[in-house]
Amino acid sequence: MMSFYDSHLVLFQATFTGLILALSIQVPLRMGVFSFAGAGSYGIGAYLAAILVIKQDASAFVAIGAAMLATAVIGLLLGLLIFKLNGLYLAMATVAFDLIIGVIAINGGKTTGGSTGLYGVITDFTMSQLFTITLIALVLVALSEVGRTGRRVDAVRDDPELASSMGISLRRYRLTAFVVSGALGGLAGSMNVLVRSAIGPLDIGFGLIVLGLTMIVVGGSRSWKGAVIGAVIFTWLPDVLTAIGAWQELVYGIVVALAAVFLPRGIYGVLVDLNKGLQRRSRERHDPPPAAAEEAAGDVDPTTGDVRELALNEEAVP
Amino acid sequence: MSAQPVEQTTTPVLELRDLAVHFGGVKAVDGISMKLMPGLIYGIIGPNGSGKSTLIGAITRLTRMTRGELLFDGASYEHVPPSRLAQLRVTRTFQTVRLLPDLNVRANIQIGADARTTSEQKAGRRPSWFERLRGPAASPGVADAIRRTRLEGFESYYPSEMSYGTQRRVEIARALAMDPRLLLLDEPTAGMNQSERAEISGLLRDLREEGLTQLLVEHDVQMMLDTCDYVFAMNSGQLIAEGEPDEVVRNPAVQEAYLGKKWGKDA
Repeated sequence: MMSFYDSHLVLFQATFTGLILALSIQVPLRMGVFSFAGAGSYGIGAYLAAILVIKQDASAFVAIGAAMLATAVIGLLLGLLIFKLNGLYLAMATVAFDLIIGVIAINGGKTTGGSTGLYGVITDFTMSQLFTITLIALVLVALSEVGRTGRRVDAVRDDPELASSMGISLRRYRLTAFVVSGALGGLAGSMNVLVRSAIGPLDIGFGLIVLGLTMIVVGGSRSWKGAVIGAVIFTWLPDVLTAIGAWQELVYGIVVALAAVFLPRGIYGVLVDLNKGLQRRSRERHDPPPAAAEEAAGDVDPTTGDVRELALNEEAVP
Repeated sequence: MSAQPVEQTTTPVLELRDLAVHFGGVKAVDGISMKLMPGLIYGIIGPNGSGKSTLIGAITRLTRMTRGELLFDGASYEHVPPSRLAQLRVTRTFQTVRLLPDLNVRANIQIGADARTTSEQKAGRRPSWFERLRGPAASPGVADAIRRTRLEGFESYYPSEMSYGTQRRVEIARALAMDPRLLLLDEPTAGMNQSERAEISGLLRDLREEGLTQLLVEHDVQMMLDTCDYVFAMNSGQLIAEGEPDEVVRNPAVQEAYLGKKWGKDA
């Protein structure tokens, strides 16, 4: 009898590659850059790794490294082209980039395998290697959320003008977002093709944007922990829902809609708010707010002492 | 107009020459020239819409200027990007509270210290990538800024948990943590009561004694009288008076700008 791990190996693999895909969209979002280019980079990484393995007989690590390097450079070039765009316009431009990659995959002839894609991408890439690389990527992303870099990323996202006045180069951070997003997308795509040994046009494209975005919207867009939560839920939920047969698509949709409406900061955001609430209660119980300063800072009229008052009462001028 | 209380042979920390900021046909700032000498507190007064905050925005390069020259320590900087001004140790506070909601007080203030040139960098040692990623573990500038703005006990609070006046003090603390040479304060005591205003006024005077040059935009005239060495008055984007604070406040043009022509004539 197969163990749980063996029978769900594909889901474990999909969780790790899905997590990296989610991070490729989350990292730029965390910097306030509405870029979905990570999904396009996923496609590039997957095809490039497949081509290198099939045609150049490259090893798994060479294929992954080349895919990450190529998608990072493409991310930089894309960033230089569109980094001045913002919000919906930027999102639309990056969605267009993703769709173009899909069109190239279909029309790439023998190089991309056309509408059937590429098969037989066989290497000695193992599950433990997949896990280790995912863990390293996760640690690096987690490091960017703490310390000075974390604070600066928060500033760039929440208040670009303040960030500028605090010596933070918006251009540098936005370009970095494109490069990191590209490298992570390329990593996810290349690892996915190495564990599945095939890639086709249906494996890339708009569906990837929806999947990655759903993971971080429901899981939480402000931290890698949210991406982990989202990747686990949306990789395993369809498998769990197979028990309800034809209703699974409907239930999946309802779960996503409810999460978007009632958990605007995602599941991780709710956990953070709960933690803040507990901290506040604990503080109020054991360490009341510094009374002198807080009492002094009541609601006051900001116009008190206005020049008008003084002009009408010249005695006030020494 | 009164002469500035420092010999003009000294190089000004900041000099504006014919600075203008136009938004289409609206001349928000139109031909302002001023010099800020080291170690003094300067004030800008003027009615709402007179261009005070736009002027601060132009000085900090956050607002695009239409014409003019900006000089810091005698060197032109009108083409320097705003993020580079932190290297010159020019910093500002904003008219409305601008704290990062997901960071507590200590982390909000630490952002100011992050921009500070570390002693290692001054000594020529390039920090490792890990040090650059993490930033300094505990900046003495942060503890000092917390102490000076009387924020002890609030370190773990989030902005939404504090009163408006306390949030403003966090903004001032963040600016101080940058160890600035020029501090621009846009209505720093808005939302504070009289005792807090007096406290902030005392803090700014202490900073002046330490040699910090400050430019203060305020409506609170008593604060201006108590704090500033020299005051500029603006109206419709132009300077209408400058000099000792009490002289400027008594200036008929200034009173007219605030209260209207009729009051000025009647007075």
